[in-house]
Amino acid sequence: MRKRQRVLASVAGAASLALIAACSPGSGDGGGDGTIQFLGPEDPAFFEPLIEAFEASHEGYTVEYTQVPFDQYNSTVQQRLSAGDESIDVYAVDQPRVPWMAAQGLLEDLSDLEDRAREATTEGQYSTGIHQDKLWALPVWNSTQLMFVNQDALAAADIEGPGTDPSERWTWEQTAEAAEAAQEAGTEWGLLLEQTDFYYQLQPLMESKGGGSGVVGEDMLDQDVANAEWVEAMEWFGATFEDGLSPRGVGTFETSPLFSGGDVAFFVGGPWDLGEFADSDVDWTVAPMPYFEGGEEVTPSGSWSWGVNPASQAKDAARLFLEYAALDPAGNLASTERQTIIPANTEAAEEYLPRMDALAGDRSAGAADLISHEVANTGVVRPVTVGYAQFEEVMNTAFADIRNGSDAASRLEQAGEQLEDAWAPLR
Amino acid sequence: MSGPSTRAGDGGRAVSARPRPGHYRRPWWRGTAAVALAFLLPSLVALTLLRLLPGATALWESLHHTSLLSGRSFVGLGNYLDLFANADFRGAVAVTLLFTLVVNPLQVAVSVALAVLYTRRRMAGSKVWRALVILPIATPPAVSAVVWSVIFRPEGGLANALLAVVGLPPQGFLTSPDQALASIIVLLSWIGVGYWMLFLIAGINDIPAELYEAAELDGASPVRAFLNVTLPMLRRPLSFVLVAATVSNLLVFAPVQILTGGGPEGSTNLLMYDIYSRAYSLGDMGRAQAEVVVLVVITLVIVAVQFRMLRSED
Repeated sequence: MRKRQRVLASVAGAASLALIAACSPGSGDGGGDGTIQFLGPEDPAFFEPLIEAFEASHEGYTVEYTQVPFDQYNSTVQQRLSAGDESIDVYAVDQPRVPWMAAQGLLEDLSDLEDRAREATTEGQYSTGIHQDKLWALPVWNSTQLMFVNQDALAAADIEGPGTDPSERWTWEQTAEAAEAAQEAGTEWGLLLEQTDFYYQLQPLMESKGGGSGVVGEDMLDQDVANAEWVEAMEWFGATFEDGLSPRGVGTFETSPLFSGGDVAFFVGGPWDLGEFADSDVDWTVAPMPYFEGGEEVTPSGSWSWGVNPASQAKDAARLFLEYAALDPAGNLASTERQTIIPANTEAAEEYLPRMDALAGDRSAGAADLISHEVANTGVVRPVTVGYAQFEEVMNTAFADIRNGSDAASRLEQAGEQLEDAWAPLR
Repeated sequence: MSGPSTRAGDGGRAVSARPRPGHYRRPWWRGTAAVALAFLLPSLVALTLLRLLPGATALWESLHHTSLLSGRSFVGLGNYLDLFANADFRGAVAVTLLFTLVVNPLQVAVSVALAVLYTRRRMAGSKVWRALVILPIATPPAVSAVVWSVIFRPEGGLANALLAVVGLPPQGFLTSPDQALASIIVLLSWIGVGYWMLFLIAGINDIPAELYEAAELDGASPVRAFLNVTLPMLRRPLSFVLVAATVSNLLVFAPVQILTGGGPEGSTNLLMYDIYSRAYSLGDMGRAQAEVVVLVVITLVIVAVQFRMLRSED
């Protein structure tokens, strides 16, 4: 009995030691075995061609991709990297967040790649990776927004929809009127923005009214989110839900099935939806994203850049993968093989964009020219500030409240106060 | 292992093992105390590493402020003062207290009612009903949240479809500032009631049947038997359920993150979500750590009050 007691006690002691060892900082999964740990919000299937191409051209290296759901991505990355997580080598970072991540020391300095990076992409895309005159991340994709038009819904209402020509761009007022008519003719919903409460897609509403990005000041840490133009734009946005043009209970990125199911007349989404809607039975066409009457014609821009984790134990390998995906046209093109997104690499984009016209037969005709036009002429960048992470969090919450019925003016005032408070530690 | 018989057996040896000059004395690490310590060690290590150390770290960090420009500095109670001056934090405390006051009595009362129903009353198919009540425990919270997001959808959701059947107008549920917290409470109770019921069923099954027979002979009604036999005999499992449910509900996070993000208008901004949002979305680690300390204090106070109330009933 005593012997058994001692054996059990020894096991208990060993378990304690194992527990201590498990809690102590380890060396992580990254290391010198050529394995590159890559973190992002996209479907793993999207990266299979890129990873296969990289591994084929870089013998001895393997890439392991981990997906974190889009909604939790930014906070998860912040949580893991600020805890010194060594098990991430390369990670995707939303372009306006680059200064915030760099300022916290969560991105590796890539300034030695400046010349190659500048050559590989447009000046606008290159600049998204710059913070305090250093390069911290490489742009992989770019984006814009299009309006998808349900021709069946418009035909039922006897309305002729907008074409792809940017010079014949519809206004939001015109779109809402046609959307209402389509609803009266039997379509369940008139108008739907894909990202119903995300700054990325709603910024053009305020910019079109002339309300600015919402961030001002020399250090870009002053807010201007409750000016008259912002309030007007948000009142219009809130009314689309109040009047029943758009559904309240469908969250961002849960919206596209409604359009592909034929339940929405006008849907504002990204180029990725060209591929998404290709399998739909709906007879749709693309049109330029609307603007407010008398206002500016503006569209969203920007997408994901990738950077290297300073705590990575495989930085050299990580940089190889990053350079291949962003600077090498073949690698950048491979990253878009399974999804419809604009390559940030200029050479890759030239080869890729014409393909967009044929993604969904006649329905996607004209998409390539329209996308090229929007990227070159109407795209607005999200504010470049170390306070973007806080800005986006506060504004997205405010947009969700306005969608759910909050008074736009008072909610924007409140958001302004929340921003002042959230930015105070950054000053 | 070291029961009375073992000790009695050792008694004789203890006399003969009286210390004598030159006699071998067993080192402490070979004694019973060392064995006991080894058995306790995993729990002590886990307690220290997973509870006490993070707690101490949070307390220490809550006294510091980190700025991108000026770096890290000691601010004393500055983070706490900032927090209490912050309207969002005060709102989160109010929402959390309201939530605690409603969700815990509700879950415990329904759990007790179901436990009694499934043990004391004979009802057709009770085992099937019991399994159905327990089933949500096996569903991951994130999946439950997604299921309920569809049920609560204002347009085309199951809840509004049921309301339409009885002639009631559609409700906003998770999109309404007046209904979102109640909707979260319904979801959490759907998960929690079955779980807490299991402990209470075990407690009821331990009550001697003779007590009910005696009550019946004395002419006690079922309600009287419940009040005078079941409830007093159930006090210990009930205390556990009440305290555990309180702590568990104060730590609710996933449904809020998935379904409402603390909104609409902060109506579901429970402290746990506010801490997460402050730490990882706003990057304000110092105040987030201070908020952790406040949450721990609130939890300790509520649990202490519950213990005191349950003790006074003795």
